Amino acid sequence: MADSKKVRKEDLAGLLTEWSRDYAVLAPSRADGVARMAAWDGEDISFLDWYRNTINPVKSLFLPPVEEMFSISRNERGHRIELPPKDDTGCLVFGVRPCDARSLILLDVVFEDAYEDPYYLDRRRRSIVVGLCCTNPCDSCFCTSVDSGPAATAGMDIMFTDIGDNLLVEGISRKGKELVAGNATLAKATRTDENRARKIRLAAEKKITRKIDTGDSKERLLAVFEDESFWQQVSAKCVSCGVCTLLCPTCYCFDINDAMTGGEGSRCRSLDSCAFSSYTKMPMENPRADKWRRVRNKLCHKYEFYPMLFDNIACTGCGRCIRLCPVNWDITQVLDSLPAKHESKI
Amino acid sequence: MTITDISHRKMFPARGNVYLPHMVVINKIIDEAPDVRTFHFNFKDKALSEKFTFESGQFGEFSVFGHGEAPFCISSSPTRPDHLECTVKRTGRLTNALHRLSVGAEIGFRGPYGNGFPLEELKGKNLVFVAGGIGLAPLRSLIWNVLDNREDYGKLDIVYGARSPADLVYKYDLASWQKDDRFNMAVTVDRGDEKWQGTVGFVPQVLEHVAPSAQDAVAVVCGPPIMIRFTFPVLDKLGFTSEQMITTLEKRMKCGIGKCGRCNIGNIYVCRDGPVFNYQQVMDLVSSEY
Ligand code: SF4
Ligand code: SF4
Ligand code: FES
Repeated sequence: MADSKKVRKEDLAGLLTEWSRDYAVLAPSRADGVARMAAWDGEDISFLDWYRNTINPVKSLFLPPVEEMFSISRNERGHRIELPPKDDTGCLVFGVRPCDARSLILLDVVFEDAYEDPYYLDRRRRSIVVGLCCTNPCDSCFCTSVDSGPAATAGMDIMFTDIGDNLLVEGISRKGKELVAGNATLAKATRTDENRARKIRLAAEKKITRKIDTGDSKERLLAVFEDESFWQQVSAKCVSCGVCTLLCPTCYCFDINDAMTGGEGSRCRSLDSCAFSSYTKMPMENPRADKWRRVRNKLCHKYEFYPMLFDNIACTGCGRCIRLCPVNWDITQVLDSLPAKHESKI
Repeated sequence: MTITDISHRKMFPARGNVYLPHMVVINKIIDEAPDVRTFHFNFKDKALSEKFTFESGQFGEFSVFGHGEAPFCISSSPTRPDHLECTVKRTGRLTNALHRLSVGAEIGFRGPYGNGFPLEELKGKNLVFVAGGIGLAPLRSLIWNVLDNREDYGKLDIVYGARSPADLVYKYDLASWQKDDRFNMAVTVDRGDEKWQGTVGFVPQVLEHVAPSAQDAVAVVCGPPIMIRFTFPVLDKLGFTSEQMITTLEKRMKCGIGKCGRCNIGNIYVCRDGPVFNYQQVMDLVSSEY
C-alpha cells in the first residue's frame, strides 16, 4: 500500500468530474433493479452503497455483444468497405470488481496472440480500469479459489477501497500510478487508513466461503475427459441457453455475419456460445451435437485447454454462471465432483 | 501439442486489420460435379497479386458480401501464381450465394491461414496421395506443387475415388495425370454407371490393392471423415507409422485465426494450428471429436 492516497466520499463526484474532462467516465448504474456500467451522470455515487457487481461482465465494454466490423456498400465498380469512424476518446471505467478486472488480462492474451484483434485491443488501449475492492461479496463468489480475491488488483490501473468516510486510492499500473500521482483532489493516506483497509479486505476475504480445490483440476479433467457417463450426468439438467457463457467475463467466442439490403450493409460480430449446437455445426456433421460434449467443452476450456495454452485458469470465480443459470448448474459443484485422479477409470 | 508461435507463417497483410477482406474478381468458373464448382480468381489490386504468397494446404476466408464468410482451401498450386483457385460444394447460404455468381463478380478474400503441408519434410520422400470426393482440392495444390518440382521427390502414387463417375472433380487434371508416366494413379468410384470402365470400389480397399510401400514414404490423406477413418488402418497394415500419415481436419470456422473459438479440438485450433496434422497428432488430440 505504499504511496496510497485517499479521497473523502463527498469528494468522489468531484474527482470523477475532473476525470470526465479527459475521459468518458463509466460507473455502475441501476435500472429496473439491474446493475450495468453506464455513462456516469455527473453526480450519482450512490453505487458505493448498493453495488455488488454488474450483470454484464466488464468484457462487454471491450467485446460488445454486437459490433460493426465494417460497413459495405456496392456500386457498379464493386464493393467499398469502410471501418467504423475512429474513436480516440479515452474511457475510464470506475468500479470494476477484481474478478472482472482479472478477466481482462485473461482476454488480452487471446486477442494479442498470433494475430492481433484490432477492435478489442484498440478499446483496451484507450481504457483506464479503476477497480473497487469487494466488501460485500455474493454467496456464489469463489474468486479466492482461482487466483483472485476481493482485494486482488490484477488487470486494474487503479484500485479504490471503501474505508468508511474515505476511499483508499492506489495506483496499480504505470498508467494508473501517473494518474493518481499528480492529482490534487487526492490526499496522502495515513497509516491508520491503510490499516483500516487491510482489516476490511481481510474481513471480505473471510466472507467468501465457497471454495474449490483447483490445484489439479486440469489433470482431473483430463482423466475423466473420455468418460461419457460422467459428462452425461453432469450435463443432464443444462438447457443449453448459453447464459453462463454469454455473461461470463472470460468467454470470448464470437460469430461473424453480414447484414445487407439494397447494396448497403455491414459485417458484424456478435457473441456466440459453445453451449449452442449451431456453434460447431457443419453441413454434413457436427462434432458437438451432443449436449454433454458442449458442457464438457465449456468447462474444459476454462479449466484445462486455456490453462494448457496460457497457464492461467480461465475463470475468475465471479459466480455469474451460478447466479444466473436458470436450472442452477453449479460449476463449483461439478468441479468438486471430479474424481480424484487415482479414482478415475482411465 | 500447441503452436502459439506462428511468426514463421506468411502473413498477408503483415500489419493492419486482419479481418478486412481484399477484393478479388472471379475470372473463370468450372462446373466440376453436381453442386461443385471451381472458381478462378485474381486480386483486384494488381500489386497485391504480385505480393501474395501461400503454401499448399493453406486456406482463405472468402466473403460474398451480404452473405458472410466461409473458409475454403486454395486448390491451385503456389508454383502457378498466375491466378488462385478454390473449389466449393453448394451446401448452405454462403456457398449457394457463391454458386449464383458469374465471371466478373467481386468477392472478398483474406488469408492465407493455417499451416499448410510440411513441404520440407516431404522432399526426397515417396508420396502416396489418397483422396475422396472434393477432398482432392487441398491435395491438388500439393500434387501440382510436387509435379512442378518433380526432381525433389521420389515415387508418386495417387488413389482417388468418388461416389460416382459424375462426382469425380478435376477431370481435366485426372486425364493429364493418367497420361503422365511420372506417377502411378488409380481412380475409383463407389458405384459405376453404364459408361464407367474403371475401377469400382471404396478408396481404402483400392489403396490396399495398390499396396504402396511404406519405405521412405509419406501418405497424405484428404477426404470425408469416414474415408479417412477407414484409410488409416489400411496404411497401418501397409507398414506406415502414424508419423508417416498426414491428413487435413475440417471444422466449422469463422475467424480463421484462432479467436472465435469454434474450430477447437481440445486446446488446438484447427484454423491456426492446422488444418494439416499427422496421424500421431490426431490421436494425441485429447478427444474423440476429430
Ligand atoms: S446457464 Fe445453465 S442451463 Fe444455460 S447453458 Fe449454462 S449451464 Fe446450461
Ligand atoms: S465460469 Fe462462471 S464463475 Fe467463472 S468467470 Fe465465468 S461466469 Fe464467472
Ligand atoms: S475459426 Fe475461429 S478459432 Fe478457428
